[in-house]
Amino acid sequence: MKDLAVRLAALDADAGAALRVIAYFDGLTENKAGLQAIVRGAAVLAGCPARLDDVSRRVHVRVDPAGNAAPDPTPPNRSWMRTELVADGSATLCLERTGEPGPVEAMILERAAGAARAVLDRTRGRAPSTDPALVELIVDPSAPSDVRRQAAVTLKLGESTRYRAVARPTGPLLLDADAGAGSAVVALGRAGIGPAVAPAELPVSYAAARVALRFAADGTAEDPGPAVVRYEELGGLALLAEMPDSADVPDLRALEHAIAAGPWVLSTLHAFADAASLRGAATALRLHHSTFQDRIAQAEHLLGWPVRDPHGRLRLQLALAIRRLRRHPAS
Amino acid sequence: MTTILPPPPFDPELGAALTVFADMMPRSFDTETLAMMRSGTVMAVPTDDDLRRDGTFRIEERVVPGLGDDPDITLLICTPVSPTGTLGCVYHTHGGGMVIGDRRTGVVEMLDWAAQFNLVVVSVEYRLAPENPHPALIDDCYAGLLWTAGHADELGFEPGRMIVAGGSAGGGLAAALALRARDEGGPELLGQMLICPMLDDRNDTPSAHQMAGLGVWDRNANEFGWTALLGDQQGAPGVSPYAAPARAEDLSGLPATFIDVGSAETFRDEDVAYASRIWQAGGRAELHVWPGGFHGFDGIAPAAQVSRDAREARVRWLNRLFNG
Repeated sequence: MKDLAVRLAALDADAGAALRVIAYFDGLTENKAGLQAIVRGAAVLAGCPARLDDVSRRVHVRVDPAGNAAPDPTPPNRSWMRTELVADGSATLCLERTGEPGPVEAMILERAAGAARAVLDRTRGRAPSTDPALVELIVDPSAPSDVRRQAAVTLKLGESTRYRAVARPTGPLLLDADAGAGSAVVALGRAGIGPAVAPAELPVSYAAARVALRFAADGTAEDPGPAVVRYEELGGLALLAEMPDSADVPDLRALEHAIAAGPWVLSTLHAFADAASLRGAATALRLHHSTFQDRIAQAEHLLGWPVRDPHGRLRLQLALAIRRLRRHPAS
Repeated sequence: MTTILPPPPFDPELGAALTVFADMMPRSFDTETLAMMRSGTVMAVPTDDDLRRDGTFRIEERVVPGLGDDPDITLLICTPVSPTGTLGCVYHTHGGGMVIGDRRTGVVEMLDWAAQFNLVVVSVEYRLAPENPHPALIDDCYAGLLWTAGHADELGFEPGRMIVAGGSAGGGLAAALALRARDEGGPELLGQMLICPMLDDRNDTPSAHQMAGLGVWDRNANEFGWTALLGDQQGAPGVSPYAAPARAEDLSGLPATFIDVGSAETFRDEDVAYASRIWQAGGRAELHVWPGGFHGFDGIAPAAQVSRDAREARVRWLNRLFNG
């Protein structure tokens, strides 16, 4: 290639030189070369540094004429020979040389830009900002980090702002961590909310949100409980989500057995497990507390263990949590 | 050979460079293209000024005796003017398929090493095939090696810091020099640098078949080179290891060896096998197979990333050899 560059310099406007430029960049495209190879080709053939700056995709590649990657954080000079990669001017290819491009330089810019466009479209996507798939992309741990970074730009996420990923049965959502998310989420139905993180960490937040979602209840008689669960408030309960759904839990079998005796059992046990006191639980169910006492005693009999001492109550809470996890298996 | 498998793809940058150079390279080798290649339009020859590198090297040419009754040979000698440490020597045998090239071919990379590691570069002008069949080539190379080792004092280098190096046919000749120096009690070599060496006249490995008609120096070109050197002995039993080092039965007792080769070239399998056999014989060898590299890729596309990596690997080995 160095040899080729020498020839090009000597022949400048020669048609053969232009043909070789075309052949070289066509060859790169045909062989599926990456952006650095393309920018390197431009730099070596032109004999000056070349750079590709795509602001919207956050792609910056700069190569010196010897072929070395030579990143430079300063923006390109407006007076350099350049060509736009996209119509809005957010992506440019430059030869770091001022003046009007000669025929070979113009050919290098044109062919390198064409090859680079093909690579950018193939590997970096060109999703519009309204694309809901972008949110799925940004929380996907298997997506390359540069792709997620680009999705963050398109979604206009601030690098220093913190966000929470929200898991819903229908798919992910993002919340600005500082923007008082509560009410927005209440309307969503079942949802799990992950911890507040920087945009790059959203896959971690989303993984946590999906765990929290499994603890979120439908809010029906069959599945009483909160519809929105924050992962950070689960504490050690979150570990239960790691248990395989096939695991045999005798307390769960006992709970299901008790529930089968009548619809009042689940509502009674849930209210008891969830409330600060027997009286509070009775109030929540609009029952006289002695009636509630009778029901609890019956339920204890069906369950097979006392729930009114701290240990028995913990066993009940765990059994209820496991029951909810089984109703909402990991997808 | 039973089944011919598809060839490995070229590295993207190398493939593109190959597209550009396709029309400058002969599609096949015969006597006619040989004349064209020798006329010097294809391979760039460095001038004295190129070799002096702004006065950092002193250039001289010495005519020294050949072996026995052989004609005299010319050595190109490039000496660092201001070395920063003990001088060593790289004795260079140029490439060109045994049929083309001269003592200046490929010397530029030797000067890069020489500047970095304080080496005197000695590059030998050996007689070429087919006008001069085996053993003319290796005899000239060996005569030059003997003279160089014998004049270490005059040339100013430390005899224990001498290596042989060459690319392609020059790699084969360098390997043959190491074998012969071992066998005949010749100069003690510190290392042998074999760059995509041409080692096996049988020309019948899977890579030779796989890359037929593709890349640079394919099976047909290789056939032409070996036939030029060996005539009807090519591929026959009893070919000397000093012509085709892959024929050596014993690869023990060789100096530290560096071998590199592309995955997409004729020589891949014979070069990999040579390194393996050195290890099996209890020797020291470093092997690099560069993915998607065609024959001599780093010379044709020096700016490509894989070319730069390949050249850096050589320098790193030299650094361990000379400074380790």
